[in-house]
Amino acid sequence: MSSSRLWDWIHEPLPVIRLEILRVAAPLAILGFMSGRLRHADEWIGDHGFHVPDLGGDWRQPLYIAPLPANLAWALAFVMVASGLACAAGVKTRASGLVFAATLVFVALADRLAAFTVTKMSPAVMLAIALGPSGTRLGFDAWRKRHAPGKRAKRLRPSASLRFLQLLPIFIYSASGIAKARGDWLKMPLVLWTQLHDTYQTTFSFALASLLPVWSWTLMQGLVLAFEMGAPLWFGWARTRTWAFVFGVGMHAMIGLMFGPVVWFALLMAALLVGGWAPEAWLAPVERLAERMESREETVEEESE
Amino acid sequence: MGLIALGVVYLGGVWLEGVGSTLPSKVFPRTPLYFLQVAALFPHAAVNVIDYRAEAWMCRAHRWAELDTRAYFPLDPDDKENRFQRVMHFFREDRPTMRALDDYIVTQHAAGGRADGIDDGETLGGIRGLSLRLPLPASGAPLVRMQRKPLAEYPQTERKNFYHTPQSKLKERCGYKTVPVAPETEEPQ
Repeated sequence: MSSSRLWDWIHEPLPVIRLEILRVAAPLAILGFMSGRLRHADEWIGDHGFHVPDLGGDWRQPLYIAPLPANLAWALAFVMVASGLACAAGVKTRASGLVFAATLVFVALADRLAAFTVTKMSPAVMLAIALGPSGTRLGFDAWRKRHAPGKRAKRLRPSASLRFLQLLPIFIYSASGIAKARGDWLKMPLVLWTQLHDTYQTTFSFALASLLPVWSWTLMQGLVLAFEMGAPLWFGWARTRTWAFVFGVGMHAMIGLMFGPVVWFALLMAALLVGGWAPEAWLAPVERLAERMESREETVEEESE
Repeated sequence: MGLIALGVVYLGGVWLEGVGSTLPSKVFPRTPLYFLQVAALFPHAAVNVIDYRAEAWMCRAHRWAELDTRAYFPLDPDDKENRFQRVMHFFREDRPTMRALDDYIVTQHAAGGRADGIDDGETLGGIRGLSLRLPLPASGAPLVRMQRKPLAEYPQTERKNFYHTPQSKLKERCGYKTVPVAPETEEPQ
């Protein structure tokens, strides 16, 4: 792809509704992940819990941040929840999204122990959502804007933010697939099966591990590896895109059901797939909802005039 | 334009870091690098089921007893995302962190009010940190649901001790002149 074609691709008008789906789903998935931590904010990022001391540049400690006084920890937890919910509701979308992203950066650095993939990738996701045209078609900001004089919100808009959010899962799959291939996934037939027996185990994964023949795990391992390694092709080629989308969502549904607390990561990735890659026809109900709200409000305004 | 460049650098960094390239670690400072470490997910087969546990030395009873660390690490208490499990996973070889953990647990127990499996009135002299390395079931064999059992139910061959409170600290906390040997258990060293 030449640089001008790449530029055109980045600036191609896209349905804003995709970003709206992400603007609602991503903060909720992230808050779901954080919920267990938020319940114990004073122990998590506050001085009531255990914290790794300042190790002065140790590779496992990206930045030392001293634990907060408990009251401040609770205040930060409140700001995180309030800004995340506000962004999902489309209230002051850009500001609330940026504040939410800032709280996510803080907690990712303040506590390495409770930081996982969701913690580390969510600031980038929220930054992209906040900087794009989020909240212009659905949510509180969109409703308020419709009642103010001015132009009606556009259905299609160029959005580098949305392009970023489309590419993010593809880059993660591709890198993850290569890491797996360089690891054990091509050498050992039961890598996936070996992951089913620890404390991530759910009733569902135990039942599946007990019922399915061992070879089926090798088959699933192969399918996952092929999907991840080939993700740029599967999502880049129009003919395979819908199948890739369906497989990806199915894979994350299985991950969510089979690996206990990983459910929030699965939901966040599924949200990125739905918002970024669901076939446009499948988004029609959400599009119709936005249009219906817009036309209803216009009708109400006309009647009141 | 600047934000597009930032996005490209981020995606490139995530990809390179995920595939195992050393380039990101040479280019980025530790803090931004940390946010790029999201893609290398489950590349290796599990060899064992690993569960980290702690024992505490009871000054009056003169013996080690299992201490339920979930009382002091309430986040995700029953899975490997628990913060105690994570301290052990990342920092079990790091003496300053293990000493800080030792102090934290002993102090928290002394403060009382949390059910850690040891009587509140018992003074703790120190802790012993260990991992349980449980074998995976044979493929095709009937499976047993993962459950947390008391430490005493696991054979010694499945335990690996990697930290214990220094003897000097233990003497100081318990007020011992010499550390007694508990007949039915190991020495506290």
